[in-house]
Amino acid sequence: MIKGLLKKDLYNISSYKTSLVIIILFCSIAIIGTEAINFGSIIICTIVGMIALSTFNYDEISKSNKYILALPTNKKEIVKEKFILCIMSVVIGGILGFILTVVVANLMNYLRPQNLINIDYETLIISTIGGMWGISLIQSIQIPSIFKWGAEKGRIQMFVILFILIGAFLGIGFLITKLSININIEMIDSLINKFGVLFLVLTMVLMYYISYKISYKIFKNKEE
Amino acid sequence: MRLIMKNNIELKNVCKKYSGFELKNISFNVPQGCIVGLIGENGAGKTTTIKSILNITNSSGSIKIFGKDIKQNETEVKKDIGVVLDDSFLSEYLTARQVNSIMKDIYKTWNEGKYKSYLKKFNLPENKLIKDFSSGMKMKLKIITAIAHSPKLLILDEPTSGLDPVVRNEILDIFRKYIEEDETRSILLSTHITTDLEHISDYIIFIEDGKLVFNMQTENLLESFGIVKCSSNDFEKFDKKDYIKVKKGKYQYEVLTDNKENIIKKYNIKTIDKPSIEDIMLFYIKGEK
Repeated sequence: MIKGLLKKDLYNISSYKTSLVIIILFCSIAIIGTEAINFGSIIICTIVGMIALSTFNYDEISKSNKYILALPTNKKEIVKEKFILCIMSVVIGGILGFILTVVVANLMNYLRPQNLINIDYETLIISTIGGMWGISLIQSIQIPSIFKWGAEKGRIQMFVILFILIGAFLGIGFLITKLSININIEMIDSLINKFGVLFLVLTMVLMYYISYKISYKIFKNKEE
Repeated sequence: MRLIMKNNIELKNVCKKYSGFELKNISFNVPQGCIVGLIGENGAGKTTTIKSILNITNSSGSIKIFGKDIKQNETEVKKDIGVVLDDSFLSEYLTARQVNSIMKDIYKTWNEGKYKSYLKKFNLPENKLIKDFSSGMKMKLKIITAIAHSPKLLILDEPTSGLDPVVRNEILDIFRKYIEEDETRSILLSTHITTDLEHISDYIIFIEDGKLVFNMQTENLLESFGIVKCSSNDFEKFDKKDYIKVKKGKYQYEVLTDNKENIIKKYNIKTIDKPSIEDIMLFYIKGEK
């Protein structure tokens, strides 16, 4: 059943293919223009991840959930399918962003040998995973919100939650500065270098897991 | 030998409460080989009843499909059900070909050949977006999608609303053929276009304000009900138990009875009109007692 539901969403997403090609072209031009190659993969990953979230809009416009619930499937499978799609989009977005950045940068180095773009693969991998982490956070917050309030209201709720999170981070930063708390920056740097990627991947898994549990609980009790 | 009729749907005391609306103790059966029409005005509770049967909404009471509790055997039972919902289907940004590809992975018994032959029969293009279909074409696609896996039970919510008489007739033909192919099949069809039911239904269930008003064989309903037209003075002679509802006009009273033989004999009535299902429904909704 999940395969059928995935097909439904992928067919819906396929209407974005022209827009996606245009966006990728713009990203490539941006990479060439600014030489900020690490941003390319982050932007593409974010766009692909957001496109996956747009499938909720298609379901909402056509009130598909009511019909899908009448098919031989259940609420658990419907929630599971959305998470599979979103996780797939983040992985594909990350890989696509990484490959595109490498291809564009190498192509420019070949065409413009006098102005070489320095490709630091380690930094590029970390920034790609960082981008994937960012969109995972957005998806993990937004999916339960959409299941609770719908695609339109869910988006507003997401921005509210994001503002609260940013406010909390800034608040903590402000307190640390105000209270003159000493932070061992070197130790943090060394921890990030050693365990940064592992930390990002593990927190991504954790975010999706918590988000899935909350989403299912919300959708299970929701009346269509 | 007594024939035991099996039921594809059995509802017992189904209740559902929303703010401002309540479905109260709905009980009825949908026997095999029968088309059952669910009638009532908009907001009477037809869609809530269907949503309860399909476990889309959480209601109390007992709902059995093919003898099995829907809540405990939801996925298994739904494999043998075809559904048409008035306001809900897959996204309109899909094509009929993509619907086929999706449904192949939803139903194990999906018959691609049957689906495509129906598309051809009803001149539905495979590669056009559903959003560019007319209302009639959209409804035909919904119905074809509902029957292509040869389900034992069809549940249809307002399948003919907003359609012209030609398309409605074509759709009713599909239902007739579907039920003729296999005598263990059934259709539960909700509609407020009651003329459709006079031609195809075996039973009529009337729901009003969340309550079941009657559940009768269509033939009996049309045979036993009658409308007497009389003056206010003549109406005074009627015993309350002999009529169901009365519509009081300025010059004439119209009285609905469910036992026209009795009323003809008892009050020496010369002429009695045969009501349509719509007339009966209107009497129940607008008439007085």
